[in-house]
This record gives sequence, structure tokens and C-alpha cells, in this order.
Amino acid sequence: MTLRTKFVLALAATLVLAALPWFAPPTLVQFGIATLLLATLAQGWNIIGGFTGYASFGNSVFFGLGSYGTAIAMVQWQLPFGVGLAFGVLLSVLFALVMGIPVLRLRGHYFAIATLALSQVMTAIVSNLEIAGRNIGLVLPLLNGDALFYELSLAVLVLATLTIFWISRSRFGFGLIAIRENEDAAASMGIDTTRYKVLAFALAGIFSALAGGIHAYWITFIDPVSAFDLSLNVKMIIMTVFGGPGSVLGPVIGAFVLSAISETLSTEVSSVASLFFGMVIVAAVIFMPRGLADLIRRFRKTGWRYFSENVRSHRL
Amino acid sequence: MKTTPILEIRGLSKRFGGLVAVSDVNFSIAPGETLGLIGPNGAGKTTLVSLISGSITPTTGDILFEGASIRHLPAFQRARAGIGRTFQIMKPFPGLSVLDNIAVGALFGTSTTAKALQTAREEAREWLELMELQHHADQRADELGGPDRKRLELAKAMAMKPKLLLLDEVMAGLNHAEIDDVIEAIKKVRRTGISVLVIEHVIKVIQRLSDRLLVLHHGQQIIEGKPEEVLEDPRVIEAYLGRRRA
Repeated sequence: MTLRTKFVLALAATLVLAALPWFAPPTLVQFGIATLLLATLAQGWNIIGGFTGYASFGNSVFFGLGSYGTAIAMVQWQLPFGVGLAFGVLLSVLFALVMGIPVLRLRGHYFAIATLALSQVMTAIVSNLEIAGRNIGLVLPLLNGDALFYELSLAVLVLATLTIFWISRSRFGFGLIAIRENEDAAASMGIDTTRYKVLAFALAGIFSALAGGIHAYWITFIDPVSAFDLSLNVKMIIMTVFGGPGSVLGPVIGAFVLSAISETLSTEVSSVASLFFGMVIVAAVIFMPRGLADLIRRFRKTGWRYFSENVRSHRL
Repeated sequence: MKTTPILEIRGLSKRFGGLVAVSDVNFSIAPGETLGLIGPNGAGKTTLVSLISGSITPTTGDILFEGASIRHLPAFQRARAGIGRTFQIMKPFPGLSVLDNIAVGALFGTSTTAKALQTAREEAREWLELMELQHHADQRADELGGPDRKRLELAKAMAMKPKLLLLDEVMAGLNHAEIDDVIEAIKKVRRTGISVLVIEHVIKVIQRLSDRLLVLHHGQQIIEGKPEEVLEDPRVIEAYLGRRRA
């Protein structure tokens, strides 16, 4: 498939998705909003985790800051939603810059552990802030308009995906990939690794915060525990890894496919859904560690051998 | 009038806790010169390369590049200034294609202007071909075999267009035929007129490549001079083979 056909297909899919609220039932539109936001979050994780190779557990903090930024601006200061969203993004970017500089010095497991603590800390801080409604949370003004939220979520996802498309073929993106592949070699070839990593972290922060802000206004209620929920971060990772970390469309496909399956399962038996996610992680890591994107690319050439080769190359 | 050396090392020492890895080393490399650095295992050769490339900082002493101190510059800025290096334990970008590995050098390295990926790949082709890797261009870097990997390291570093290249035991793990092969590749690098610091274990390599030789032993430089004289020196023979028993 040439880039041109891919582009046309992606455009067509976007148009169909954009038209969905006009013919789909309300429950599907609601499911759509949740899925589009998850896909945006997965794309955010893709920048820092997929391209740069830093397995972040701090992205749920970006989501939470986006939610709280929007909520505080709208509830406490009576500002319009757009300003609130911008405020949430600003908080998130500041957090990425301030925390990124010390935390991104850590590599591998140590980075993951350090970011793991961040969301716990944020829950504790926000629970004690008067302006954030302490541990009770905040209630946002009600806006009945799922179609609007849907289109907004879609627009943000398109923006995130276009940004990643640009990253994948830019000097900046090449620098990030070089850092992921070998950070010492990257530095010895003239890449300002610290700056690149912090920028990637901040960029991930922007999209996660946008998703958080939209989500808060849509749900109309936020509290510290659900806003900084670590399991949301785990979902981002699963969806990205399932779809193909470091690819342009992989995380979006991962989010769509996994959301659809988990939604179907949860309407049947609720406990099966969470069990399913656990099984997906294990199966994906063993059989297709480079994700759906790589599977689609290589399956035609290798056939079913693709899976056995992956198993063998990881000495399982 | 003397020309400014490309690299000047002044009283450089590096201490790791109680261990002095490099102790009061002084030398310089003239533009276009190839300096060989030899010494037994643990002599401090790789530490010296890391000090020059900036992955570790010296305890005392100074490093001058084209007359200006680079002691406080981080590694990436030294690379931009024109210091390229290869690693003893090779560090390719395993998941990238061979061509893209080299393109990273062209994209970053000493080039300060943001160029398109396409341009960088075209520039990368020059060293891809000089290092005879054109048949492997689209292969993943971790699929390459021994000597090809070494040539990839050279190509990556040269695509940066450095003024000084640090070669850290490029020959490690190669057999005799492969070593001859890589020596030819390094000669191509030298022909571009850049300065080279070759660190090597294999005496044959050092003899064939260097203009001048420096011997390091227990972190101290014990002798410096023309290759043939240095290799005849009793101190060097002792360091390598041990004291002759009466």
C-alpha cells in the first residue's frame, strides 16, 4: 500500500466516523466518545513510550491535570470550556517540564517505577486542595450534547495522529527513535537527548490533557481517585502495545479493537472483561511484541510462522 | 609557527573511588594525524575515549578541542563540535535499517541546520557505499555480521562529518582476514584527511595505521613516539609480556 492510498483510506475512515452521530444510536455515540478519548490517550503514550522507548506510568497524571485544570477553571473561576481546556494543557506541560527533567534521567525499570509513584502523589495532593474540591471532587456544568463531545474527541484524535505522522518522518522523530534504540549512541552522534525526551514527554502531556479535559466536561464529575487512575495508564499501554508502539495508526487500531471487544464482553458477563485485558497483555507480549501494525505488515510474507518466530526469538 | 592541535589533553586524570583509571595523561593530535593508543587490558584506554567524547567527566585536567576547552560540554555538544566515536561494545540502533543508522549521523552530527529525512538518507548513501554496505541497506542493523557491523560503526560516525574520530577497539572479536578487511575501511576514513585516535589491542593494526604511538599502562602514559621505536622499547615489551626472567 502506498502512502497515498493509506492517506485516502484514513481520510475516508475519519469522514465515516465524523458522520456517525447522525445515524448511530446514542449508546454507540457514547461508546464512541470513550473509545476516541482512549485512542487519543494511547497516541499520547505512543510518543513517549512507543517512539522514545520510555515506559511511562505518568500519563494518567497528564489526564488528571487536564481534567482538573478544566474543572477548576470552569467551576471555580466561571471561565468558558475552551479556556479551561487550555489551562489543563498548560498545567500538564508544566508538569512534564518540571518532572521530566529529573525523572527522564532514569532509564528502563527505574523510570517506570518513578512515574508509577507520580499519580499516587497527585491523588494525595489534589485531595487536600480546597480549590480542587478536596477528596469530594468537583461537579462541572451540564452540557447535553453527546454529538458535540464526539466530534471534539475525534478532532483531538485526528490532531494527535497527524502530529505523530509528522514525528514519524521528521528529524525530531528520528532523534526519539535513536534514543529508544540506543541512548548512549544517540548522544554520541549529537542528539540532545535530555531536550528531546522532555519535549516528547510534554507532547504526550498535551494530548493526554486534552482528552482529560473533554472527559471531565462530558462526565460532569471528577474526583481525585478516578482522575489520576493508574489503570487508565495501563489501558493506554495495552492498547499501544497491542496496536503497534512507534507506529502512526497502530495505537488507534489497538484502542478501537480492544474497546469493542471489551465492551461486547462486559455486556455479557462483567468480570470477563477485566480478565480479558489481562489475557490480552500476556498473549500480545508473547505472540506479537511489535503489535498489530507489525503483524499486518509482515504476516503476508511469513504467514503463521510469524507467531512461532516471535516466541522463539524471545526464548520462551 | 605551530598549528593548533585538533585535540590537546592536559594533565588528564580520572579516579573511580580509590582506583585511578587515568593518571596525568598529556598528549596532542595534529590536524590530519592518526595517533595510536595501545596498552594492556585495564590500562585506561576506553576511559580515555569516554573522557574525550564526554560520556564521563574528568577528575582533574583539561581537554582542548581546536584550542578551546570542552571539559564542561555534554557529550552531544562535543559530537556537534566534531568529535565522532565508535564503541568497543558496538552500539548500533538495532531496530533501524542499516541506511537509517547512517542517516542518523547525517541528520545530527556536526550538521546544525534541520534537513529533511530524504536529504539525510541521500547523504548516508555515500558512506554506505564507501563501507561496502549497499547490499544491506534495508536490513535491520542487528542482522549484520561481525565485520559488517564494524563498518557500520565507521559509516555512522563518518556520516556525522567529524573532524576527529575516536576508534575504540574496532577490531575486537574479528579474525585475521576480517581485521585486514576493516583496516582497509579505516584507511578510507583516513584518506578524508580527518584526525583519528585509534585504540587497539592488535599490534599489527596499530603499526599499519598510526603516524605516532602512545602507550598507556596502569593509567599512566609510559612512552610516546614513532611506532617502530615505541614497539622496540623495553618498557613497552615489559608492559605487554612481563619482565624477562634472568
